[in-house]
Amino acid sequence: MDVALPAGSPGHGSAQSRFHIYVQIAMILAVITGVELLLIFLPFPKPLLITGLVLLSAVKFTFVIFFFMHLRWDRIFCTILFFIGLVLAGGTMWALLHLFAVKDSIPLTFQP
Amino acid sequence: MSQAAAATLDHHHDPSTATGIPNKKLLLWAFLASDCMFFGTLISTHLIYRLHPPPDNPVPTQVFNIELTSFSTFILLMSSLMMALAVNAIQRGNLRSMRSALLGTILCGCIFLGCQVSEFTTFVEVKHVTITNSIFGSTFFTLTGTHGTHVAIGVLWLGLMYIRSFKPAGEATGRWMLRNVGHVLVFAAAAGLMFVFVVPGLISLFVEGEALSAFVHHTALPIGGEIAALGALAWLARPAGPVDFSAANANDVESMGLYWHFVDIVWIVIFTAVYLLEYVFAAATPH
Amino acid sequence: MAEALTRSEFIGREAPSTARPFLLFRRPTAKTGLLGWLTTVDHKKIGLMYGAFATCFFILGGLEALLIRTQLIVPNNHLVTAHFYNELFTMHGTTMIFLAVMPLNAAFFNLLVPLQIGARDVAFPRLNAFSLWVFVAGAIILNVGWFLKAGAPANGWFGYAPLTSKQFTPDISADLWTVGLQVLGVSSIVASLNFIVTIINLRAPGLTMMRLPVFCWMTLVTSFLLILAMPSIAIALAEVIFDRHFGTNFFEVSSGGQPVLWMHLFWIFGHPEVYILILPPMGYISEILPTFARKPLFGYPVVVFSGAMIGFIGFGVWSHHMFTTGMGTVATSAFALATMAIAVPTGVKIFNWIGTLWGGHLRMRTPMLFALGFIWMFMMGGFSGIMHAAAPADYQQHNSYFVVAHFHYVLIGGSVFALLAAIHYWFPKFTGRKVNELLGRISFWTIFVGFNVTFFPMHFLGLDGMPRRTWTYDADMGWNQGNLISTLGAYLLGVGLVVYLVGMIWSAFKGEVAGNDPWDGRTLEWSIPSPPPEYNFAVTPVVRARDAWWYEKYHGKEHAPEPAPAAAGHGGIHIPDQSWYPLFAAAGLLIAGLSFADYSLAGSITGVAILFVSVYLWALEGPGGYHVHPEGAHGPAAH
Repeated sequence: MDVALPAGSPGHGSAQSRFHIYVQIAMILAVITGVELLLIFLPFPKPLLITGLVLLSAVKFTFVIFFFMHLRWDRIFCTILFFIGLVLAGGTMWALLHLFAVKDSIPLTFQP
Repeated sequence: MSQAAAATLDHHHDPSTATGIPNKKLLLWAFLASDCMFFGTLISTHLIYRLHPPPDNPVPTQVFNIELTSFSTFILLMSSLMMALAVNAIQRGNLRSMRSALLGTILCGCIFLGCQVSEFTTFVEVKHVTITNSIFGSTFFTLTGTHGTHVAIGVLWLGLMYIRSFKPAGEATGRWMLRNVGHVLVFAAAAGLMFVFVVPGLISLFVEGEALSAFVHHTALPIGGEIAALGALAWLARPAGPVDFSAANANDVESMGLYWHFVDIVWIVIFTAVYLLEYVFAAATPH
Repeated sequence: MAEALTRSEFIGREAPSTARPFLLFRRPTAKTGLLGWLTTVDHKKIGLMYGAFATCFFILGGLEALLIRTQLIVPNNHLVTAHFYNELFTMHGTTMIFLAVMPLNAAFFNLLVPLQIGARDVAFPRLNAFSLWVFVAGAIILNVGWFLKAGAPANGWFGYAPLTSKQFTPDISADLWTVGLQVLGVSSIVASLNFIVTIINLRAPGLTMMRLPVFCWMTLVTSFLLILAMPSIAIALAEVIFDRHFGTNFFEVSSGGQPVLWMHLFWIFGHPEVYILILPPMGYISEILPTFARKPLFGYPVVVFSGAMIGFIGFGVWSHHMFTTGMGTVATSAFALATMAIAVPTGVKIFNWIGTLWGGHLRMRTPMLFALGFIWMFMMGGFSGIMHAAAPADYQQHNSYFVVAHFHYVLIGGSVFALLAAIHYWFPKFTGRKVNELLGRISFWTIFVGFNVTFFPMHFLGLDGMPRRTWTYDADMGWNQGNLISTLGAYLLGVGLVVYLVGMIWSAFKGEVAGNDPWDGRTLEWSIPSPPPEYNFAVTPVVRARDAWWYEKYHGKEHAPEPAPAAAGHGGIHIPDQSWYPLFAAAGLLIAGLSFADYSLAGSITGVAILFVSVYLWALEGPGGYHVHPEGAHGPAAH
């Protein structure tokens, strides 16, 4: 059940073409990591930096799960299964951080 | 197994199951969904305690060596590439390529672990941040240590899979088991020496500017042991007839690969949330 | 399709067995006796063992409860010391939840799921055995404290920090509690992964997801809840363990730790846990009511969807256990709203059960009595639950006996009643004998009356201000009568449960012999002999409709039959090999857990080494397996 690969890639699910895709993606991941390292030293406004870093790591994350972990070419159920855990974990983290960030939750020992 | 015979195996489809997804693969994906919650709560603990830290808490940006950490992040990403190539190779029935790619993955994993050992040692001995003397120390070491343990388990699994690929075709015998155990012990020595002594030693020399004499004092013996272990591994890897490992085992290698890639993506999250974002927030609130 | 397990290219080939295999890979073959049970990978035997262990712990938990109630029968009683009382209520809760109800549900997952989906076993038989033995290991770790000077865990079943810190509980009891639960978590997660793969992948041909028995759906949802909720408590426990063993500061206030974090992480697990306890019982009821009403379940898709919704929303309500911790208005309101929302799918299910009964031909056998009792008692528990959902009201109810009343109505009135119904209902299938109906009815009425007499007064005790977990109370609080009645009710409940148990034991030996289908059932397990043969189905069934067996019995001839399924094949039916390694691996984990709780490095390393070697050999020995050729296994199209 191979999903159609993007027009640019040669072949259709043949293992040989996958080799090149993997190497290309690895190069992209390396470049993104370099960009991230660079970004934190640049004097951009905080919200922009945070968004940028989160987005870049999300891109790396997506590349690894859909290509290296093969989700792109597997049955959609595998993707659904993983995303259930991922979304739940993300949602729980979001809720916890909000719970601890409100004024009522600030410890008395904290000095801003 | 020949390339032609391997081509008849569809690695995406197992007709004996209701969905076509091989059972082990489905099991691994369900486990990874669970592991998302595991790391999610652990990362949450760390981030929660970064919201309103107590006054005497260490300042992460003054403790981290972000260049070294970026390097180890890059190494882990390369290990993921190696892992994908290993799975690719065995799906085509190419045993030799799989073995080299697995060794590449293991090497990258050991370098990552070595960087982490070096990092932990520096934090404790130089920066005086320990797991007990601050809340930052507790959450940081627990989180990254747990991730590191996952990497170590992965390296072990990879090693055992590599060694398994040498099992001779035919019946399992006591003689093979003995050789197998020997192979495992040699591997354990090679990997252990690598990430506990050799890589941290090299980091001390090249990154932290340790004197050459001190380097030789600390690391010469482990390097000697490493060379011996690698030599033994090479000897054990010499061809010795047909083996009981082929494209039919690709599913097991792929399932292991899923675990390894997952450990990598968890690190992608940790690298951003625990390391990089500290620099953004620290820059905004100068100390 | 499921029988083609042997044809999967992804399982190692069977070794041609002319010579005896290498020592470490020789598989045990005993089918009876102690070794047969210790090394089995058969889901039916594993299910029976879960049930047997769970029953023993249910009795233990019940004795703990009776001691609690006897201590409270009169004011200022000194039957037990205050510390022992703390051990009693801690272990009563921990035992009933983790060692009784959860494994009883696990017993039914094991016994029923493969049969209801037309499979020969679960997807990973050895992993299944491993779950069982790790459960036993966890149970041992939790209860070994009774034999030690330090005593059993006494920190409450929810182990709030910083009571569990070294400072406030210096002895081993808190270590046993944290490590024991951690080990149990491994068992639950592993078992759930197995059932998810089994239900998704091992269904018989024609069994689409929307034809799956509701019990299998509930098993699937519960398994998802387990694998997603247990990691949270695993991390929470790890943080307490690290604080105690390694001196970390997760809950150490003087270094910036916050004990409320424990509460959050615990309840992120703890709330889905209560749905883990109740969803399988809802599954039993959804199977039993249609059989005894002789009508299909009303609104099957809605019942399934509601079950999934309960599971999903259940992850978003955890802080309703923390309304009094001062989270702030927004958080409190959000969780109150979500908690009220979860009543909707629950109510939907109740309406569907009533709809199933409406217009049906009702047969009032014992399982039906327990099922009807479930609907009513669970509703009452739900009403008090909805009262808790209103945060301002909860400020009065929190930590009072009103909460105790609520959760016992949903746990006993809900989970236990449904389990008692299920045991009675499926008893003939797995023992080949029917349960004595008279004893069943006597036990039902005694349990029903005893249960209500015990717990109904607790609503009033709570609203009159009696707190939970109090060892004694003064004579002038106005609580004397309520406690006395409650304790007497508890004894009556105990008698009822004894009658039930005696009925089971008597019936196992002297009960009327049952055939394949004593209740005129609707699902596939009733299509095979009682007890089932080792391989379950001689021929893998082909499913043509929901309530597959009912369809075959009453509508099978209306439509042209499908072409006869391929016979079991010239190779016969594939049976997985038994194995030593799940048992050894669990033993390693037990040794590691006990040693670690005792701060022994040598023992911990030994245990982990045994675990590692066992898992490694388990991987190397491979699935193995052999073939059997039962008579009548070959269809007409056979060679």
